[in-house]
Amino acid sequence: MQPRAFVSLMNRAMQNTFAYRTSYIITLLTYFISILSLYALWTAIFDGRDQVAGMSWNQMKSYLLITFMTNSLLSWYSETRIATKILDGSVAVDLLKPLDFQKARLAETLGSCAVEGGLGLLFIAVISAFASDIITPHSPFAWLLFALGLAGSLAVKFGIVYLAGLLCFWSTGSHGIIWSRIAITNLLSGGLIPLAFFPDWLAQWASVLPFQGIVHTPATLFLDQVGTSEAIKLIAVQWGWAIALWWAGKGLWQWAVRKITIHGG
Amino acid sequence: MSFIEASQLTKVFRQAVKDPGLKGAVKHLFTQKYVDKSAVAGINLRIEEGETVAYVGPNGAGKSTTIKMLTGILAPSSGTIRVGGLDPYKRRMENTKRIGTVFGQRTQLWWDIPIVESFSLLKDIYAIPDDVYKRNLDEFRELLGLDEFLHLSARKLSLGQRMRADLAAALLHDPSVVFLDEPTIGLDLAVKQRIREFIKKINRERRTTLLLTTHDLGDIEDLCDRLIIIDHGTLIYDGTLASVKDRFARERTIHFQLNTPVHVASAWTDAFPDIAFSQASPLEWNVRFDRFQVTAAEIVTHALKSADIIDFRMDEPDIEHVIKQVYEGRLDLKEA
Repeated sequence: MQPRAFVSLMNRAMQNTFAYRTSYIITLLTYFISILSLYALWTAIFDGRDQVAGMSWNQMKSYLLITFMTNSLLSWYSETRIATKILDGSVAVDLLKPLDFQKARLAETLGSCAVEGGLGLLFIAVISAFASDIITPHSPFAWLLFALGLAGSLAVKFGIVYLAGLLCFWSTGSHGIIWSRIAITNLLSGGLIPLAFFPDWLAQWASVLPFQGIVHTPATLFLDQVGTSEAIKLIAVQWGWAIALWWAGKGLWQWAVRKITIHGG
Repeated sequence: MSFIEASQLTKVFRQAVKDPGLKGAVKHLFTQKYVDKSAVAGINLRIEEGETVAYVGPNGAGKSTTIKMLTGILAPSSGTIRVGGLDPYKRRMENTKRIGTVFGQRTQLWWDIPIVESFSLLKDIYAIPDDVYKRNLDEFRELLGLDEFLHLSARKLSLGQRMRADLAAALLHDPSVVFLDEPTIGLDLAVKQRIREFIKKINRERRTTLLLTTHDLGDIEDLCDRLIIIDHGTLIYDGTLASVKDRFARERTIHFQLNTPVHVASAWTDAFPDIAFSQASPLEWNVRFDRFQVTAAEIVTHALKSADIIDFRMDEPDIEHVIKQVYEGRLDLKEA
């Protein structure tokens, strides 16, 4: 695909996101309310203790903020766009364009993310101004690692969303698939509870699956919980998954296209 | 070689057979039964560059399936297709650059951003040179009257406006062939007329090959030199519209209104043995005849001589009538 077409698609997705701004702000508020309830829950758990599972209360607060941030990178609308395209049949229109389907969806996702992530950041800045004792990376280098981890988080999330979206070729509804994906992602990424709180067997599963790259990795980097070499390893694993998911998506798309072009959907 | 060539084109779909009711649905979970249904069964087509072809047939005849195969988004079960020398399925990406498509029921415009933004995105997707894009856009704006809604999002357009915008979108990259699937469905007469004029002009000036499916016979009469009728996946007619009319729409009926009753039925059949004469009432004659055997002038002259005629009108079967008969199985074009 021409870089120009890619940038152009990103640009249109950004415009589109602005058209959906009200809906996105409401989504953001929903995330915020769920984070607030988690905050209340953790306040009760940390009551009278300095540390739980090796995390201090201040670290926990930062952790919640990062969870909120990774959630706000991609809205519900962007997540369901791929599934919707497949279910309403407008994927036929995409097949009639000289565009690689996966790259085109990536361009759109990046475009929406630029606007949605920006709004999310603004929101976080406002909260941080009111919250106290939030732990932040201690050096510019740590910030850089965090930025890489956040970008990786988006790449992994895109890979998973894309694969889940393509599964709609084999089902007649998207809600089941989307809800299961959200439930699995939330749990195994550390979006609900930090992985440190997991029982050993589950923590081990989580560490070999791609989901941890979405919340656990950027949060660990943000909290400076690991040394530089360990941090680089985390990022490498995360990006390794992002690339593997990309190729898996490519393969699944080719299979799906064969199915619709041969069996007619 | 023709620009579009299809030989022995066949598409077979596998359909699940379920027994009726809940029991059947549960049974299907364990034992799947399928039947093969041919949507297109051995069609041969040759379309030259610059031709305008109407592809018609009743619902479920296989029109859309054929179009999907010609555009490369459906693989034929057997047979071959070449569009400008390329296999549209195997080389889908390359093929998409040279074709334009308009599906009346579906839009390629972005729903929530201004139409002009959808257009400039297409410019980048197809890598349309600046001057070509500008020339095309200016021309389409004028011919289709796009200026009044170019700044609106597709969501806000009326159906007629959306179709005009979709038509422009399909032609911005100067495709050499355009597939139009029911381009005038649900539109009012004025918009239909405007769209037809536009399509005619594009075909005339750019030699763009057009293949359109439609249920609107006005589209066919206005736009197409050639008519292809399919039913049950097979081709039942391929020829000019005029020759369908000559062969199947030969019968005319003249209705005469009389001032005073005259009973001369036998005089009619003596003068013209091949006509069918009837009287709806003592004051009304109906004369049905083949326009290749008797002229309307002869009939009228005879009527004026035999009675005091105050008024008459002539019914001519239109192409709609003929095609309706074909659809209903009352007219077999192959045998005639």
